Amino acid sequence: MNTTLDIVESFKIAWAAIIANKARGALTTLGIIIGIVAVTTTMTAFNGMQSSFSQAAGAIGVDVVYVSRMPWIVMNDFFDFRNRPNLNISEAQQLEKAFEGRAIVNPSIDTRRDLRFHSRTMEGVSIIGTTEKMPIITNRMPEYGRFLMEFDVRYKKNAAIIGYEVAEDLFGSVNPLNKEINIGRYTFRVAGVMEEQGGNTLGGPNFDRQVFIPISTFIKSFGGRRFMDVDIAVKASAISTLDDLEYEVIGEMRKIRKLRPTEPENFSINKLDSLLGAFNSIVGAVLGIGLLVTSIALFVGGIGVMNIMFVSVTERTREIGIRKAIGAKRRSILMQFLFESATICLLGGLIGILISAGLAAAINASGMMPASLSPGIMLASIIVSVVVGVFAGLVPAFKGARLDPIDALRYE
Amino acid sequence: MSNSYHRNAVLALRDVVKTYEMGAEKVHALSGVSLDINRNEYVAIMGPSGSGKSTLMNIIGCLDIPTSGSYSLDGEMVANKSEGELAEIRNRMIGFVFQTFNLIPRADIFHNVELPLVYGGIPKAERRQRTEEAIEQVGLADRMKHKPNELSGGQRQRVAIARALVFNPSIILADEPTGNLDTKTGEEIMGMFDDLHAAGQTIILVTHEDNIARHANRAIHLRDGKIERDVVTSGDAAAA
Repeated sequence: MNTTLDIVESFKIAWAAIIANKARGALTTLGIIIGIVAVTTTMTAFNGMQSSFSQAAGAIGVDVVYVSRMPWIVMNDFFDFRNRPNLNISEAQQLEKAFEGRAIVNPSIDTRRDLRFHSRTMEGVSIIGTTEKMPIITNRMPEYGRFLMEFDVRYKKNAAIIGYEVAEDLFGSVNPLNKEINIGRYTFRVAGVMEEQGGNTLGGPNFDRQVFIPISTFIKSFGGRRFMDVDIAVKASAISTLDDLEYEVIGEMRKIRKLRPTEPENFSINKLDSLLGAFNSIVGAVLGIGLLVTSIALFVGGIGVMNIMFVSVTERTREIGIRKAIGAKRRSILMQFLFESATICLLGGLIGILISAGLAAAINASGMMPASLSPGIMLASIIVSVVVGVFAGLVPAFKGARLDPIDALRYE
Repeated sequence: MSNSYHRNAVLALRDVVKTYEMGAEKVHALSGVSLDINRNEYVAIMGPSGSGKSTLMNIIGCLDIPTSGSYSLDGEMVANKSEGELAEIRNRMIGFVFQTFNLIPRADIFHNVELPLVYGGIPKAERRQRTEEAIEQVGLADRMKHKPNELSGGQRQRVAIARALVFNPSIILADEPTGNLDTKTGEEIMGMFDDLHAAGQTIILVTHEDNIARHANRAIHLRDGKIERDVVTSGDAAAA
């Protein structure tokens, strides 16, 4: 039999059968709708997490290598690292010299302090001592005012560039520029306000709740010995690949630290990649569990469809007999019922996608995270619902296809 | 009786045996039936219930295969065909007409009649043409879009006849075609078979009613799984 003909006819027959039993079809479809909504919403949430993460990741910089005492992701090997020496400012300066003209080297140190402006206070705000090169690394600029300048660093100025949220909370409608604020026990003058980053998701750093001050001032004011651990960001300007950069940074650091070739490194190289890897494995696990749970909903929906297909096959035993008598082969009967169950599930899938699109829009509007139903998820849902339909229909359809025409014709 | 097939035979059975196993017991539904039916014959297969009439009809209709013996239909040896091949033979060579009409209730008349062509893989345009012709032939051109339950019994049986005719089969196999109809409508339907026979169609009626069998030119009487009598009749009801 001509296959395309088969498909068109099977679909027509399936559609007629579904239309003939609207209420039953609707109820059966409900299970699939719930399953598809659960699965697509999970995937949409996953996508939302990923895009808010990549928003945050932009601030770290994809082409930047960080030298730190510790790796960013410490699993259970913390004790291997705890005796490492701190990175200090002079090592940062040596590294800068070594890469002069080839890469931007920017040290930074951070701590937490309370902020105060007149009677308003903010507790535990992230204070970052850094240099004028910070914006080159992070691509983040002040919205108004200015960033740190070279002379701020050189003359240990008490200049502060505040994050968007700091400006909002501490100053409200007052223009923060040139106002004096207290950071811990010291007084700083606000020189600029950073653009809003909005990366306040999933327990990641809140880039809007930061204050940048010159690293020299930081060391002078807050630099007890315990806080002397510097992070050094190295951004390639004339080095072709990130791997080359990493390789060279390791080499230079080993030289600075005078490590013998046999000695292991007592510092860590961090990249966005490593963070990304950790993020992906965590979110991947969450997604995996989420999909497993939601798949159960879909599975139950599929069982419902299978049940209805058994009823449908039994009800139409005589029809199957007639069809076989006039020349339908097993395959034609099989196709007829598979198309019916696939169509029921496809309908459920399409309605589910519409509902999920509505949910995604609602999540988006609520500001929890960016969420939208991607075409990929929609396509996947359509495929999944059809596959569920085919699987749910398989056993009932086989049962129908294998009926003996004589028995089937005699069925009352 | 000769073992060679008659040259003009559209259908030839040789020593056909059909045995059913009912638990430990073997039931011989047919015990050695040999039969030739020629092209354009009008045959009635008769017999009381339990005579093997239905079994013979199932075998002739390729719905079942004999336990032993041979059966050739229009030159095709049927006895050892697969299920799929049997479906194809039913599709192209046999037009069934049943006592209970056996139309598909959800499908309209057009689709019911079209269905054998669909299973036969005939292209859409040709299907449409042949379906319309068959429906016109039974005089229901104005009911094409109706569902079976909107038609009278006689009309439904005419739809079934159109469906049986649509693929231009080698034989029409009618199982008690008037069993669910009143006498007058039954006669109308039989008139239709008479006309088809006159136009050259081979028709096999399975019936237990003498006045229906009288339309045929030959009556084969079965009893206990064997042919009891095979007689040429005048076909006087057809002539009348």
